Amino acid sequence: MTGDALRILLLGAQLGFLLLLYLILFGFARSLVRDLRSAEHAQLASRTGIGRLAVLESPEDEPPQGRTISLGPINSIGRNVNNTIYVEDEFASANHAMLTFRGRSWFVEDQGSTNGTLVNGHRIDRPVALSYGDEISVGRVRMRLER
Amino acid sequence: MRLAWRGTELWLLLPLLLLVPLGFVITHVAESQVLEPGPLGLATAYVALVLAAHLVLVLSGHRGDQLLLPLVATIGAIGIVMLNRLPGGTSLLGLNIGLAVTQVAWFGIGLIAMLAVAIGFRDDGLLRHYKYTWAAGGVALLVFTILFGTEINGARLWIYIGPIGFQPGEFIKIVLVIFIAGYLAENRALLAGASYRIGPISVPPLPYLLPMLAIFFGVMLVVAVSNDLGTALLFFGIFLTMLFVATGRRSYVLIGLLLFVTGSYVAYRLFAHVRLRVDVWLDPFADPSGAGYQIVHALYAFGRGGLFGDGLGRGLLPTVPGFFAIQTDFIFTAIAEELGLVGAFALLAFAVFLVFRGLRVAVLARDEFSSLLAVGLTTSIGLQTLIIVAGNAKLIPLTGITFPFLSYGGSSILASFLIIGLLLSISHRAAAEGDQVPR
Repeated sequence: MTGDALRILLLGAQLGFLLLLYLILFGFARSLVRDLRSAEHAQLASRTGIGRLAVLESPEDEPPQGRTISLGPINSIGRNVNNTIYVEDEFASANHAMLTFRGRSWFVEDQGSTNGTLVNGHRIDRPVALSYGDEISVGRVRMRLER
Repeated sequence: MRLAWRGTELWLLLPLLLLVPLGFVITHVAESQVLEPGPLGLATAYVALVLAAHLVLVLSGHRGDQLLLPLVATIGAIGIVMLNRLPGGTSLLGLNIGLAVTQVAWFGIGLIAMLAVAIGFRDDGLLRHYKYTWAAGGVALLVFTILFGTEINGARLWIYIGPIGFQPGEFIKIVLVIFIAGYLAENRALLAGASYRIGPISVPPLPYLLPMLAIFFGVMLVVAVSNDLGTALLFFGIFLTMLFVATGRRSYVLIGLLLFVTGSYVAYRLFAHVRLRVDVWLDPFADPSGAGYQIVHALYAFGRGGLFGDGLGRGLLPTVPGFFAIQTDFIFTAIAEELGLVGAFALLAFAVFLVFRGLRVAVLARDEFSSLLAVGLTTSIGLQTLIIVAGNAKLIPLTGITFPFLSYGGSSILASFLIIGLLLSISHRAAAEGDQVPR
């Protein structure tokens, strides 16, 4: 075996070693990604609730902007801390609105608030049925109903 | 006990059956210039040990994270391949025992310790409730090292019992993390919530922080006095990370960084050895044959390695006269020379995956203490890797600290395996309790 042939063989083996190293790395990466996906599925499966509210805008950050609140069948919204959804906003009333799930759909009803409750930018004067994706404004806080 | 099929773990361990022998063969052929496989007993022993550990986990029905062991084993495999060709070692009964042989033996001991912790720790009360005892024990060990330790390379870090030496610093690290996790878990609400406002600045509630700060700065002082700068940096980083994770307050990090900058400057002014380290870091070529010798040759080695490396067994770093501590401090450099940037990146990726996995254990943990413990232990592995790699590459001043699972050294290997054992036990408990409620 000449020196040259040996050198080429070694070079090949070296590249093979590196390739194997990256194949192992790829195996790990695949397992990591698979775990992340399954975690996502678990999270999706745990959303057995009837709906959620995504906080789009919240000047006082209470509820925190960007947070998603999972909803029960009956939710009161207002500046009073005893409400299901506590809104810290000076334009919101103590007991501002009710968000309820009746039968198969969501309803929102103003509770005689000073500044009113808005659905998709329009002030409501009676209980209004909501569909997923609708926006509710209480004071300066904007929230979107999601499934 | 019920069996737990750990398929992912086995699947990711199997490539080692090829990787380790291949590395040994390439090294042997490159060194001897003869086309023969050479001795493979050590490679076989290493892979057998790791697979045995996997088997024990399966038999004991362990449901902990399945990626930790393969990740650690892969990093260790690259280390063994490298150590196998480095000169040095100890002689026992007239026989010369190479570095790799000792390292594989330590892996065996480490794996046993890992399994004992992973399987034995069903309840973390022992750690949580006796946190002050743990802290006191750690401090006592530290003081003992300062008083009776053996000084090697200008830092007094070793305790020798007969011929066997060990570095208490590695274990104090774990004890410190246990203490901080226990303390923060107990007082988290107070630390995160209460604050005094002086004008626009909110001051953290100092009275609640004091016990922890006292112990922590005591440890830091002792570590700094014993010239162990890398460890001091590591401890500080772990402490800040855990404090931030527990409280979510950026002000702590800001104050910490400010303290760090001030402390570094004071240390630079006061201690000659710190000044030397920094000066060498800023311009190693000012004294290339003296103080800058190690760094200069490490930089040359990185350059020689290039993209794909000089080839296993063909690196020149081990032949540089007077270049010491390759097996501990500069193993990453030696690997970068022989496997190139591509190989070094792969190695770093394994380390990053390990940290990612550790943090996943922390996220999935069932209680605050376990979660903080996992964060602290993972941070220690990640930061240690970061500090030594950055030191090797002249990104920060070089400090003598080990690359977990890669560097030669019994204390480091054993302590790192204890960390993995704790992470495994935390994730096992989370999996066992978490069957009902996904989080």
